[in-house]
Amino acid sequence: MVAHPLIAFVLMLTAPLIAAAELDTEIDRLKADVAELASDLYELEEAFLHPADTQVAVFLTLARSDALTLDSIELSVNDTPVASHFYSERELRSLQQGGVQQLFIGNVPVGEHRLKAVLTARTANDRYVRREVAHRFQKEPGEFRIQLSVDARAPEYEPQIGFAEWK
Amino acid sequence: MTAVEAPCQRAPATRKTRFCFLLLWSAALAAFPVAANERPGPQWQVGLAEFALAAGRAEEALVRIGETRGDAASWVRARALLATGQVEAAKRRLEQQLTADSHRGDAALVLGQMATQSGDDRGAREYFNTASRLGFGNTRQRALYELSMLDMADGKPDAAGQVLAGMEPGYWAALGYANLAAHFSKQDLNASRPLVALRVALAMSEQDVVSDRSNSLRSQLLVRAAYLSFQQEDYDKAIGFLEQVPLDSYYTPRALYLHGLSLDARDNYRGAMQSWHRAKKYPLAYPGVEDSWLGMGRGYDLSGYLGQAGEAYLAASASYESERATLRELASRIREEGAWKALVNDARGTDAQWFLADSRTLAQPRLAYLMRFMESGEAQRKVNRVAELVRLDQILASREQSLTVFRRSLSDLSSVPVATAVDEQQRLNARLEQLKVRAMEMQQRMAGASSSGAELKVVATMLAGVGRGLGSLESRLEGRTPHLSGLERRIDAALSRLQSLRGRAQQLRISAEQQLNDEAIAFVSRQDERMVLALDKAEQRIAHLYEYLALESIERGAQ
Repeated sequence: MVAHPLIAFVLMLTAPLIAAAELDTEIDRLKADVAELASDLYELEEAFLHPADTQVAVFLTLARSDALTLDSIELSVNDTPVASHFYSERELRSLQQGGVQQLFIGNVPVGEHRLKAVLTARTANDRYVRREVAHRFQKEPGEFRIQLSVDARAPEYEPQIGFAEWK
Repeated sequence: MTAVEAPCQRAPATRKTRFCFLLLWSAALAAFPVAANERPGPQWQVGLAEFALAAGRAEEALVRIGETRGDAASWVRARALLATGQVEAAKRRLEQQLTADSHRGDAALVLGQMATQSGDDRGAREYFNTASRLGFGNTRQRALYELSMLDMADGKPDAAGQVLAGMEPGYWAALGYANLAAHFSKQDLNASRPLVALRVALAMSEQDVVSDRSNSLRSQLLVRAAYLSFQQEDYDKAIGFLEQVPLDSYYTPRALYLHGLSLDARDNYRGAMQSWHRAKKYPLAYPGVEDSWLGMGRGYDLSGYLGQAGEAYLAASASYESERATLRELASRIREEGAWKALVNDARGTDAQWFLADSRTLAQPRLAYLMRFMESGEAQRKVNRVAELVRLDQILASREQSLTVFRRSLSDLSSVPVATAVDEQQRLNARLEQLKVRAMEMQQRMAGASSSGAELKVVATMLAGVGRGLGSLESRLEGRTPHLSGLERRIDAALSRLQSLRGRAQQLRISAEQQLNDEAIAFVSRQDERMVLALDKAEQRIAHLYEYLALESIERGAQ
């Protein structure tokens, strides 16, 4: 059966449009399913890859929004590099607006450990700085978190890194 | 508060020195400026989710935000839902946000954009009105810009102008006036209204704080203004606009061509040829470059150098032929490898390294075609679909790999007999008892020395913790096998889901790539037609020139 030429023409015109719209819907569905799976896997990882007894997590926050433009950070635990990060503009903006970055989550045995952070940044008075700080901590059974809070105060804008711990 | 590292002496690992070291370390610990804080509150989760979202990990942002309550959490959740394709759920959250205490304007703006995408202009207008009323800063300016776009789409440029007049100077106002100028250009035979709008846009763009964006928009506006001035035969004005276009801009090739054309119109052929000569150095993909090649021939012709004019036309003809070969090669690679690889991925990775990326990258032919291709909104949408699917596949592949490794190590763990751990537990218990006795002896010896009391307390706490761990080891070992089996089942199920999702992602990628390939092939075909037309023009010029030379020769012979 041959369709009416006008209908065929309209179908021909609309076919690619519908296909594109369907594709977008399908991609959205896939993204939603991936997000659901990611959530399940995250729980699984938190519970089993980093058991509470040996878990240590390191976070980074900015104490004030306009003092420093972070460029990169490197983190070592007991002189072994465990994390490094270059900051994008969006990530910096997020940190400046109160965002919290989880720099590292891993396992260390109960006892004494040494955390070292090396950061590079541009200060508000337009200096490019590289600073290295170290911090010793005592890991006890149970979750353990360390917060690195980066600050720089006028007029020198010398970067200061504070450490806070909680269990 | 900066921590200063305490001096750390490396000592032979005997038990005695280890214990002394522990005491020394404990003493040093008290000197550290470390705050022992409470467990973080909901604001911490919001901060983590915000950062994950900014880093492009919307899936993680959703997990981080979990069931956290509050306006800030709700705003992050809505954006993460939108980024993970859960459009309806995101819409509901955004609607709720409209009655919250914060981010009301932001939510209205996003809802307006969603309505525009779905073709609901009336709904979009309401949301943008709300956003302009409740939002501030960039949100308010963006909302006003969107309202002016709706007015223009309704054929009401005057209403759009009124909205734009109420905006703060900056990027969005500049963009609005640029679009108003384009609207007037379509309507008016006279270029004065578009030129006025473009001049306002130029003034507004100067207030844009994002310098790259401002420079790019400014270059585009200057070229448009110059084109309109040229059409009005106001060549000095056109030249004035063009001489402000930076030489490293994406719009430089067409600016150079127009500059040459304006000089040519004022009979300054030498100056015109200098501009066209510089434009010729850019790839033929950019508008104006193919005409600059022809312009060189015309310049020589008008200056009376007919032999060099012929050579210039022949050179133009050869360059168009060569470009057609490049385009045929590009088309065949798109057919063989797909547009994603041949046009998008490979063009990004051509010779220039990122740290050398400057105006030189403008001279890369494949990158030039990619940039021209990406000027179209439809091409952007099609490339974005494939890019999104590639990203999803990469996430899934990485997850699959780590889960497979984890699954293997679990199998290894299951094969370790429990008896080994029981033997080890007895040995560790004996060591623990020894340490407890030593700690007690030390406490008795140091009785009265208040400085050591705190350190010994730390040691006692640690030993108690180790004791608790060892005490519960047996019961934990009993539950090990069922626990590991349960874990293996969960991982197997996750792996199966992962593989199914990867299959779906790959299927969708095939469809998305097919649509992108069709678009890219059509684009390359249009570029080839452009070259054919230019080639035709060059050949006609050569024919005219030879005809003229032949007639001259005949005339000279007759005399």
